[in-house]
Amino acid sequence: MRRNEDARLLTGRALFVDDVQVEGMLHVAFLRSQHAHACLRTVDVAAARRRPGVVAVYTAADLGDYWRPGPLLVPPPPIAGLVFNACTQLPLARDKVRHVGEPIAMVVAESRYLAEDALDDVMVDAEPLAAVVDVEAALAPGAPLVHDHLPSNVAAHVVQRKGDYGRARAGAHATIRRRFRYDRGASAAIENRAVAAQWDPRAEELTVWDTTQAPIPIRNGLASLLGLLESQVRVIAPFVGGGFGPKIMMFYPEELLVPWAALRLGRPVKWTEDRQENFYATTQERGQVHDAELAIARDGKILGVRDVFLHDTGAYDPYGLTVPINSQCTLLGPYDVPTYESEFTAVFTNKTIVTPVRGAGRQHGVFVMERLLDFAAAELGIDRAEIRRRNLLRPEQFPHNHEIIFQDSAPLVYDSGDYAPALDEALRIIGYERFVRDEQPRLRAAGRHVGIGVVCYVEGTGIGPYEGARVTVEPSGRVRVATGVGTQGQGHFTAFAQIVAEVLGVDVERVHVITGDTREFHWGTGTFASRGAVVAGSACHAAALAVRERILDVASRHLEAAKQDLELADGHVRVRGAPDSAVSLGELALKANPLRGAVRPGTEPGLEATAYFGPARGSTANGVHAAIVEVDPETALVEVRRYVVVHDSGRVINPLLVDGQIQGGVAHGIGNAFYEQLVYDENGQLLNASFMDYLLPTATDVPPVETAHRETPSPLNPLGVKGVGEAGAIPTGAAFAQAVEDALSDYGVEITEIPLSPNRLFELITQAGRGGAGGRPKR
Amino acid sequence: MIVEGTFTFQGPRETVWELLQNPDVLVKVLPGAKRLVRAGEDRFDGVMQVGVGPVTAAEFTVSVMLKDKVPPQYYAMEVDSKGTLGFTRGSARVALEVLADGGTLMKYTAELQVGGKIAGVGQRLLDQVAKLMTRQGLEALNKELRARLAGGSSR
Repeated sequence: MRRNEDARLLTGRALFVDDVQVEGMLHVAFLRSQHAHACLRTVDVAAARRRPGVVAVYTAADLGDYWRPGPLLVPPPPIAGLVFNACTQLPLARDKVRHVGEPIAMVVAESRYLAEDALDDVMVDAEPLAAVVDVEAALAPGAPLVHDHLPSNVAAHVVQRKGDYGRARAGAHATIRRRFRYDRGASAAIENRAVAAQWDPRAEELTVWDTTQAPIPIRNGLASLLGLLESQVRVIAPFVGGGFGPKIMMFYPEELLVPWAALRLGRPVKWTEDRQENFYATTQERGQVHDAELAIARDGKILGVRDVFLHDTGAYDPYGLTVPINSQCTLLGPYDVPTYESEFTAVFTNKTIVTPVRGAGRQHGVFVMERLLDFAAAELGIDRAEIRRRNLLRPEQFPHNHEIIFQDSAPLVYDSGDYAPALDEALRIIGYERFVRDEQPRLRAAGRHVGIGVVCYVEGTGIGPYEGARVTVEPSGRVRVATGVGTQGQGHFTAFAQIVAEVLGVDVERVHVITGDTREFHWGTGTFASRGAVVAGSACHAAALAVRERILDVASRHLEAAKQDLELADGHVRVRGAPDSAVSLGELALKANPLRGAVRPGTEPGLEATAYFGPARGSTANGVHAAIVEVDPETALVEVRRYVVVHDSGRVINPLLVDGQIQGGVAHGIGNAFYEQLVYDENGQLLNASFMDYLLPTATDVPPVETAHRETPSPLNPLGVKGVGEAGAIPTGAAFAQAVEDALSDYGVEITEIPLSPNRLFELITQAGRGGAGGRPKR
Repeated sequence: MIVEGTFTFQGPRETVWELLQNPDVLVKVLPGAKRLVRAGEDRFDGVMQVGVGPVTAAEFTVSVMLKDKVPPQYYAMEVDSKGTLGFTRGSARVALEVLADGGTLMKYTAELQVGGKIAGVGQRLLDQVAKLMTRQGLEALNKELRARLAGGSSR
């Protein structure tokens, strides 16, 4: 099946925010902090204002009442004893800058060139302060404070417990204890952020084009802040070149200031982030340090886990605790873990703000648990796949309550799952037994370092609160679907169309989907947590069912037949067994909207319905990743030779789209594992803020992913679907680490950190070899 | 970033010292220096134009404070430079030793904090550029020194 959106995308007719060109448009450049931490003494913009072509220059002082910290997007869940210090981002820094790239002044000019030139005219007098960079040093007594009004750099402290870990530990055959590190990466969407805004004084309407994943909350927030009716603000999130999470963050200073300037100046205004700004100003993720311990029985059964970790939240924490709570919850994975004790401290640092990036903290939990199981397997002499199989939740254990609270404030309850067959299928596809028994020994004998990794994971997806959709049959017979979620390449124009087409009996190509335009649909929250298909998809389904009822009502009167005798197919309604009776949906749409005559009381016009869907809680997808790698110990380069993903995201609406999500996610995950790392120096300066130095995996680094789908329906929505947007990226680091470690088993390399790099891996090989003969194999 | 090294001048220590304290000489020999003036007993202010690899050359305002002077053998510097492409802050120590052949051995070490675009994009080249610029500056200074000793001023 072809994707409905591809014709527009492939022929360059899709609208992206930077395509928006309006007569008289002004352009914006932001002056950003060069310091990670500094007191702002003066910001002198007089010379910049005098530069020809500059229309306005704003600092925090110019914003008046409009200057206020951003909203706390996700209030912390109700967990006893939880500490949370909300410090949200500022539109423009006023007294202090807290990370490199934080905006200080905004220049509006006739062109971007002029605006950029005028940045040189702004004189900033800043007194540098010692920067908080490392999460552990941040908590040391006497550490500099990112937020002076707080007694320390603690942003949050949360403890969650299940059962009595201490007791489980006392009865354990062995305890496995390690320190694990995960470092930061960029989301690196191909399209950077962009905002354009235009005030139409005659219509009294503000139109904002924004690369956001949350157009409706942006509209609601802007209306409130600007003193307009919600109906006076139209936010359009057109085609967006990748979201991956950072674009659900709001309000970024730029998306707050560009509409404000457009209103104030009475002229259209646009800002498009350049790649360098993106490295500093778009949110990032993944800095955590875990001290974890696994208590295990002689037979490999998990008795409990204790994990204490630090989470780097960056300079502000507008996204609450979503990321560390995901880490905390996802650690449990697909396993039966009777006792669990997890404690984390979120820490402010003088680095770019941390909010979810594809996986949103789940990576860390999976990495810690999977690595602990690997070390346990080695210690107990149990096969790596077998130790996992022994601990997987069994079908009769669902729904399974883990007795802790998830990011959506609901208890962590897995809705459904069938885990062991997924593991077996992955092992079968990659040929685990044959590889371990025949191939690996043969290749090793030939001096080659090949290894295999097999890891399991779950992904909490499809959380609430709700989404909505409106389905309309037009007189042409074409069907229009409008929903509030924005789209960033997932294939919503096809997946939502399929859902509606199936209910109404029309071709998928005849269903026109509109997303991310608040004029078309203005109730909803956004695209995040792998929830588009689950929540908005279910709303499309409900609206389509309601329209189907209306079609049957009208057709039943028109055809003088009972509703149960009617069938919908090929865009027509006909009486079953009487093909000549067919009447098209278009004709029925016209009949449902008469120009003259009387209708029965209570009749609503047209074939249209709006419906909403809100799940009781998130649905839990699961899967297994298996990889075979070859490592060259001389260069520490790793080649991923095969990559298998067996994924269960409930009912699959469109296998092509699911495969695409997985392939893209694995690419993201391989990047996280071996190429991508944001390197900060001890002063909080980012040292690789360009694609020259920040490495993204390329086509030659990412193998074609071999996918298999399993379908265990979710009972939580009528479609039985679960989300899949993040699955490819979540366990990749763990699979990579296990496979590389296996490949280097004769060196005794132990991997407890991600990302690796050829350089870091070389160091590990050398260090491990030190006990032996200087980087040579031990045996 | 740490920049350190040694350099041998072909001339007496007193003359080397004198040249190192003379902004009119330094502005000529330092790569990218556009202006350098004495702004106080032990302070120089100036403008330099510097680019690093992919970062196009741009102007930096520079201020240098001399400290702990022990003529003609030792001084320290506090360096502060800033521009739209970033900033550099830090300190440097310079020691001059008389060599048996009448030359002067300079030992220098600078500890610099580099920030902004120049750090984010130029990091990979920064060390090399700093070393190269130091080398070029010292060689030009040596040339100036020899020209002076020969009784003229170099071009």
